[in-house]
Amino acid sequence: MKGFFGKLIQKPLTERIEVTDSDFERYGSMLKAEINSVFKRSIAIREVDCGSDNAAEIEINNLSSPYYDIERFGVTFVASPRHADVLFVTGAVTHNMRYALKKTYDATPSPKFVVAIGDEACTGGIFKDSYAICGPVSSVVQVDLEIPGNPPEPVEMIKGLLTLMKKAKTD
Amino acid sequence: MADSCKPTMIANNGVMDHEFRLAENDTDFGERIEYLKRSGYVLLCLFCREDYATRDLFRLTYIFESQENRHIYEMEYGTSCNAVSIAELFPTASLYEREITDGFGIPFSGSFDTRRLILHAAYPKDFHPLKKSFRNGPVNVREYVPEEELYKFRRLEGKGVYEVAVGPVHAGVIEPGHFRFSVIGEAIFNLETRLYYLHRGIEKLAEGKKPAECLKIAESISGDESVANSVCFCLAAEKIAGIRPSLRAETLRGIALEMERICSLLSDCAGMLTDVAYPVGASRFMALKEECMRMNKKLFGHRFIRGYITIGGVSADIGSTDLLLLESFADRIGESVKEAYDSAVTSSSVIDRLATTGIVRQSLIRPLNLTGPVARSSGGRRDVRTDYPYGIYNHHTPEIPSHDTGDVLSRFMQKAEEIQASARFIKSITGEMPAGEIKTSGTDIHDGCAFAMVEGARGQNLHYLEIRDGKIWRYKVRTASFTNWLSIEHAVIGNIVPDFPVINKSLNLSYAGNDL
Repeated sequence: MKGFFGKLIQKPLTERIEVTDSDFERYGSMLKAEINSVFKRSIAIREVDCGSDNAAEIEINNLSSPYYDIERFGVTFVASPRHADVLFVTGAVTHNMRYALKKTYDATPSPKFVVAIGDEACTGGIFKDSYAICGPVSSVVQVDLEIPGNPPEPVEMIKGLLTLMKKAKTD
Repeated sequence: MADSCKPTMIANNGVMDHEFRLAENDTDFGERIEYLKRSGYVLLCLFCREDYATRDLFRLTYIFESQENRHIYEMEYGTSCNAVSIAELFPTASLYEREITDGFGIPFSGSFDTRRLILHAAYPKDFHPLKKSFRNGPVNVREYVPEEELYKFRRLEGKGVYEVAVGPVHAGVIEPGHFRFSVIGEAIFNLETRLYYLHRGIEKLAEGKKPAECLKIAESISGDESVANSVCFCLAAEKIAGIRPSLRAETLRGIALEMERICSLLSDCAGMLTDVAYPVGASRFMALKEECMRMNKKLFGHRFIRGYITIGGVSADIGSTDLLLLESFADRIGESVKEAYDSAVTSSSVIDRLATTGIVRQSLIRPLNLTGPVARSSGGRRDVRTDYPYGIYNHHTPEIPSHDTGDVLSRFMQKAEEIQASARFIKSITGEMPAGEIKTSGTDIHDGCAFAMVEGARGQNLHYLEIRDGKIWRYKVRTASFTNWLSIEHAVIGNIVPDFPVINKSLNLSYAGNDL
């Protein structure tokens, strides 16, 4: 019994991490306001890797790390395209992934937005001349926003989302 | 045993030497392979290249290793149209052979698996991209693939057997791949993986480029192995050119290599804890990883340390203030990881999920050539840094922890310990930072060929580079993931499907690094 009451009055076990990224915080709160006005609370993102080297995925995963914790601004990553408002597509689309990307796109309910993430997804990048890719993401599905970078850093992705929300508002 | 069968020592003291042994006539080919099998050799790599001089001859290069004596045996086999499969004796050869058949159109007689590997069904028949006659460029793929040409998974049938198909698009933020589980009740009794969704044609793309232009390609092999792969590529190019980076450059490369290892392993530890629903522990590892990536950006100008490694050295120096900062950072990482690790392993729910899950048996290490933390947590002792030291590892020897049980828990412990060992290694080499140039000015790249091996975060990476007329004629990459991927099909047997994510995460295999 004593242990139980003791737990009630003890300090929280979690530690506070000092967030030093003031840019991210600023863009985050702006994004939250935009999401609230366009989507009424939150947006759901489905990520699809179509030919990336995984660096973009690492940065996207970092968005959920304690330093960024993008979920507090109303952005969630979901497991199925059927739950998604936005598709994050990375990498130049390989021939082996083209069909899967199309199917994922078709499974996402409209209205939907596609964001191409990273140089390869935007232009084909260094893989432009390869036999194994069919081109940038826009050669397979319609792209609404491009976020270039090798790979883009978390703050660039949140800036991109902000642009996308502004775009969604005017469309 | 004929004298000609005796292995030749070709790797010694860090720099891999190469010696081509020509076997144009195949009379003693089978005999040699059997001898190697009997003597406990391990197949490190098998690849094909077109002969530069004659152009109509394909050269198959087999690289074997004797793990007792730590030497490499390289064997070459010339052919104009077909080859003999060695997959009955060295089962992993099957993957290499399928890869060669796809790339060069060479069939292997006696092969037990002839399905296409890197080229999925959409690619036209008789399309062999690695042949010199094919000029790299857009390909017309098929919109419609006839039923009989679709990939045939092994089918397991019986009472109560059902299949679970997963992928290529997974539920998390993760690379694509397809898994076909055969399950009875809850237990998995077979898993077949199908990969190469990320096949980007890296080896062909490198051809015809100058070595310096290829660095970006080497960095893009796998996201969190930019340094390991670019260092490996540079070691091969430097060997051909006869360049030796200065000790200062080698130390800086060493720091970059170990920082990359720390980042990757921190992410693995976080991932394993996420997959057993222990986010409190995972957050601590994730936060440390972010700090490491920020440190990378500060020291090397890029969160993934891209654009830093160059042929002959590195592209930027680290000043003395930053070095002091790095030293205290290494100390802090070591301590914080220990705290985070202690909090995780004292949680009974974590131990319950990790212990005895996804066992990789020690007996698999040699037949599958498992390397890196996966092998070292199953009783393996190999590490390129100590087996065939290169760069800074010629002067400083890192600690190599190891474990024996081979389950997910031992891989978690292994990785947490490797992070601490790397942090200590960084501290010891920055403490003795030598003065000197950071880049040895390049002599012209000569023609020639060379191998190099580097221990990346996932294990042994092997790059082969052949330069003709100052341009790349053949670039072959074999990453640790390519061999380690095979372990997952063994590790999951008898486990339940819900444990698959944590087993997968504990092995942390790169899809991009495998698919190339």
